[in-house]
Amino acid sequence: MEKVSYDVVIVGAGLAGLMAAHEVASAGYNVAVISKVFPTRSHSAAAEGGIAAYIQGNSDPNDNPDYMAYDTIKGGDYLVDQDAAELLAYKSGEIVMLLERWGTLFNRQPDGRVAVRYFGGQTYPRTRFVGDKTGMALLHTVYERTSGLGSVDFYFEWFAWELVRDENRIRGIIAFDMRNMVPVFFKAKAVVIASGGMGMLYRHSTNSYINTGDGYAMALRARVALKDPEFVQFHPTALYPSDILISEAARGEGAVLRNVKGERFMARYAPKKLDLAPRDIVSRAILTEVKEGRGFPGGYVGLDLTHLGEDYIKERLALAYEAAKSFAGIDATKEMIPVRPAQHYYMGGIDVDITGRNPDLVGLFAAGEAACVSVHGANRLGSNSLLETLVFGRETGRAVVEFLKSYTEPSSDIDKEAEKMIDSAYEVVKSESGVHFGEILERLRDTMWDYVGVFRDENGLKTALSEIMKLREDMKKMYVLDKSKVYNTEFYNALELKNMLDLALVIATSALNRKESRGAHYRLDYPERDDQNWLKHTIAYLRGNSVEITYKPVKMTKWKPEARVY
Amino acid sequence: MSLQNEEMDVVLKIKRYSPEKGYWWQEYKLKVDRFTQFTEALRRIKSEQDPTLAYRASCHMAVCGSCGMKINGEPRLACKTLVIDMAKKYGSNVITIEPMDYFKPVKDLIVDLDEFYQRMYKVKPRLYPHKEVLEGNVEQRLKPEDQRELWKFAQCIWCGLCVSACPSVKMDPEFLGPAAHAKGYRFLADPRDTITEERMKILIDSAWRCTYCYMCYNVCPRDIEPVTAIKKTRAYTRLAKEKTSIAQTGEKHIEAIFNSLLETGKLEEAKVYLSTYGLLGSIKDFIYLFQSGKVKYALVKEKSVENISEIRKILSGDNK
Repeated sequence: MEKVSYDVVIVGAGLAGLMAAHEVASAGYNVAVISKVFPTRSHSAAAEGGIAAYIQGNSDPNDNPDYMAYDTIKGGDYLVDQDAAELLAYKSGEIVMLLERWGTLFNRQPDGRVAVRYFGGQTYPRTRFVGDKTGMALLHTVYERTSGLGSVDFYFEWFAWELVRDENRIRGIIAFDMRNMVPVFFKAKAVVIASGGMGMLYRHSTNSYINTGDGYAMALRARVALKDPEFVQFHPTALYPSDILISEAARGEGAVLRNVKGERFMARYAPKKLDLAPRDIVSRAILTEVKEGRGFPGGYVGLDLTHLGEDYIKERLALAYEAAKSFAGIDATKEMIPVRPAQHYYMGGIDVDITGRNPDLVGLFAAGEAACVSVHGANRLGSNSLLETLVFGRETGRAVVEFLKSYTEPSSDIDKEAEKMIDSAYEVVKSESGVHFGEILERLRDTMWDYVGVFRDENGLKTALSEIMKLREDMKKMYVLDKSKVYNTEFYNALELKNMLDLALVIATSALNRKESRGAHYRLDYPERDDQNWLKHTIAYLRGNSVEITYKPVKMTKWKPEARVY
Repeated sequence: MSLQNEEMDVVLKIKRYSPEKGYWWQEYKLKVDRFTQFTEALRRIKSEQDPTLAYRASCHMAVCGSCGMKINGEPRLACKTLVIDMAKKYGSNVITIEPMDYFKPVKDLIVDLDEFYQRMYKVKPRLYPHKEVLEGNVEQRLKPEDQRELWKFAQCIWCGLCVSACPSVKMDPEFLGPAAHAKGYRFLADPRDTITEERMKILIDSAWRCTYCYMCYNVCPRDIEPVTAIKKTRAYTRLAKEKTSIAQTGEKHIEAIFNSLLETGKLEEAKVYLSTYGLLGSIKDFIYLFQSGKVKYALVKEKSVENISEIRKILSGDNK
């Protein structure tokens, strides 16, 4: 077993991971960033519409960060930790201006200042953007900046597999060099998990193929809890049928949803905010229209941009225009774009506080979509995820630096532990026959979509759980046909599937457990929000084949729960 | 909104590679519909037919740049290409998929991009603003028209397709390649950047090594036109303090073409050649022309075109 040592190992090279790396490396510590892909291929690149920010002197004169925090809290159906929402809002302007100084080419107002547009659930417009490729623009900026420091070691196309811990603290991670399958024990004083989301668990998702929930599963297997794992966001406007994201920016710029009769149906579901209601509400509205026979054949509705004008569409919504053209053969300047909901974001994640610190394991931190701070609560507002990655990526980096200042060397030896973890990964290669990862994966994605999706109920969730248990049994017979050590993607796909099945069990169990409807978690059998019993965070641990659930109170500062009307 | 679907049975012939076995072709049959992207076709092959097939793919919406490969010989992003479209374009439901040219093969459709990344880093791909700005003491503004100009070239997704298609990269190790030039120009032209002099040193000599074949322009999935970035970089030559011989020759060549057009409205190649390379430099080539009996072409005396005054008006207007 090869070993290397770093002060900090960061898993994931998207915006949150890179921002944390930048912060830690700038303080003089040595950092390894481990990613399955070259940093600019991270899923952050796929974020489109923008990043929310209240900027002093460059926002609506009536706006202020408290309104921004309030919108986030209300949008999250009061499951948001309010101290986290306040921190997010108050640091938003500063972080956007920092990225501007680093060179992100934000769209401009005529006077040269950063421009702004509306997004769903915002009282005042706050979304800053680079066309509709904001995530890509930010990711390239932060990667170029961080790689320019010269003191961050990038291990890209490395597969992080397990966290190594002792009794109470993190000791490093096991990762494989994907080019030659060599396992390496990365010893570290602190580990930051910033590995992003898990869209591949669902048949329909806007996520990248690499989003297989690896970080969540690594944490679960290291006896670390996930917070609020039942909250999965579905984006209302994924292109039919390829599930490519059509940014909420389209509706922010004035596009409207229409059913097969041409009706602007959001008037029925959110009479005041209409098409700019939060994502959970719009997703349910679309599927209700389809279910009641007012969708187009095949099960979708239309997103109408045509009145915005060709030039405006091609500048501000270039990607939406291009995607509709390339992948559905639709000219969005003349016709409606076919859209339907698809899995988009995971509000749940590794349990951390507002500094990114995990309470279960000393030295473990998490940031970005992999973490649950919780700043999105039961439903995330558009433009808040890019903001979260940068603000909490930086906060986490700072907390790691503080942690390192008072760090003491442990005396126990954990090399044997690490050896065992490598052997567990190799089991799939040693089997001579069995089932391939693909057979299990496709069944899992259908199960999650059918029963743990936009609408849920007890029977469906129980069906899902028994299917997931079956799949976990089948997984024991999984084997890898490719015996080569060079870039053996099948081996990593098999490990990813193990991760997905660990996570799926936790999501479905937590969803069955929460007997109310809140934000993106909508139970047909319990359609009302129940603050009396359920205004609390789910804290879920994986114990072998079962899930142990406890609770944590939601942190309240200024805002009392009220009915969520748009 | 008229979504017309159709289905087709296709055969994907994939050129595979492993260090142990070398190259071989393998065929996969599958049914695709009107909306099936090549990344989805590959994903289905991997999960339903042959899990050993190796390729890269991530975002499936043409912003991450992972899935560059050759489809029926064309350098393309697999996600941005629909299977049925290629079958129709070539009138055949047998479609070939190969790894990108130029790069070293690693496994199947995966190639080694390390050298490509090194080229990208050479151009110092990051903004160097004034210290005051970086510390947040001064606000910098950017005109919307400058933002639009820079954003065009900032959209490079590091996919490597342009480099795989570029003949100059293969011939000339000093040429940085189209992607690095697009990236380099994005920062060279940024009015907020402070290391313009250093960037000129990195970029200008290389810019004159491009042959303007436009392959990068043809294959770029983000329509960045790296060749345009190179042209625009060449325009910085007159601002450069030190010029390499390549850049000097390039400048002379452009000037000679300009003068030839100004004089006769035609491209008088012999005269342009002489002005570019000087008398001494031309003698050797002249001897070669003489030996091969082509010297008469070098001695053609061109007459001015009619309406030469119109041409002169355009040239002077453009230039001054």
